[in-house]
Amino acid sequence: METAKHQSDEDILINGLKSGDQAAFHEAVRLYTPGMLAVARFYLDPSSAEETVQDCWVTVIDAIQKFEGRSGLKTWLHRIVANRAKNHLRKTKREVSSDFSETLDPELADRFAHNGRWATPPGLKSNESAQALMENGALSDCLDQHLAALPETQRSALMLYEAHQHKSDDVCNILDVSASNLRVLLHRARQRIFLMVETFQETGEC
Amino acid sequence: MLMCRDLARIASDYIDGELGTMDRVSVKMHLLMCGHCRTFIGNLRASIDLMKAHSSQQVDEELVHRIDSRIKERLDAQRSRKNDSE
Repeated sequence: METAKHQSDEDILINGLKSGDQAAFHEAVRLYTPGMLAVARFYLDPSSAEETVQDCWVTVIDAIQKFEGRSGLKTWLHRIVANRAKNHLRKTKREVSSDFSETLDPELADRFAHNGRWATPPGLKSNESAQALMENGALSDCLDQHLAALPETQRSALMLYEAHQHKSDDVCNILDVSASNLRVLLHRARQRIFLMVETFQETGEC
Repeated sequence: MLMCRDLARIASDYIDGELGTMDRVSVKMHLLMCGHCRTFIGNLRASIDLMKAHSSQQVDEELVHRIDSRIKERLDAQRSRKNDSE
């Protein structure tokens, strides 16, 4: 039922975009720009990424006429951004650099003894629900800071998979990474967030 | 035998259900015996939930405004071309 309602909301939005309705564009821009930025930032520096997302929206005005709904609107937009960002990257001859060789975060790795057991075990068990924790504004700000400090590749993978709830296949496709490398990016990013929450809960500081 | 460090390496795969049967059983066996790793998995799960609950959709209003303006410009130009040709 939820899905059907969701689809019809998306259909209404798509029809608005196809008819060039400015309010529909405003709604879509607000809804989809954060995810599009996450995709662009995987490939590009912050200012080129913003520029690419802006350019994308202008091309969407015409391109939406050919949108047939084979994928969802979100996935379609994310693919457009990924293609543009990749073209931009090719022109600048830069490469996306990422280390996929180590799955353990160095800070976490240091907490194990030589025999592979915990030397510094995890702190308090977190009993509060995510929703209750998020009501703590300081924690929310701290999470923002830590997300901003993640390597771009890890952050984009985390945002698309966790926050924008893409399936693994879609994330691999959009970010041009193999399934196993996506697993590494996700796990590395999650460990940073885990360490941040632990420090915050133990010290009350970010 | 699976050690705590090995479990930490594959914890996300365990949580996401991406492990093969053998590895999955090894993790479950280890978790039965190891309280620290149970806490680790629990807190890692909590971090993931936190990420999901976090308003990742925070919108940069200035950027939205800039995009809106560019779209308006383009739509207006299209409309005036259409009106001219009619």
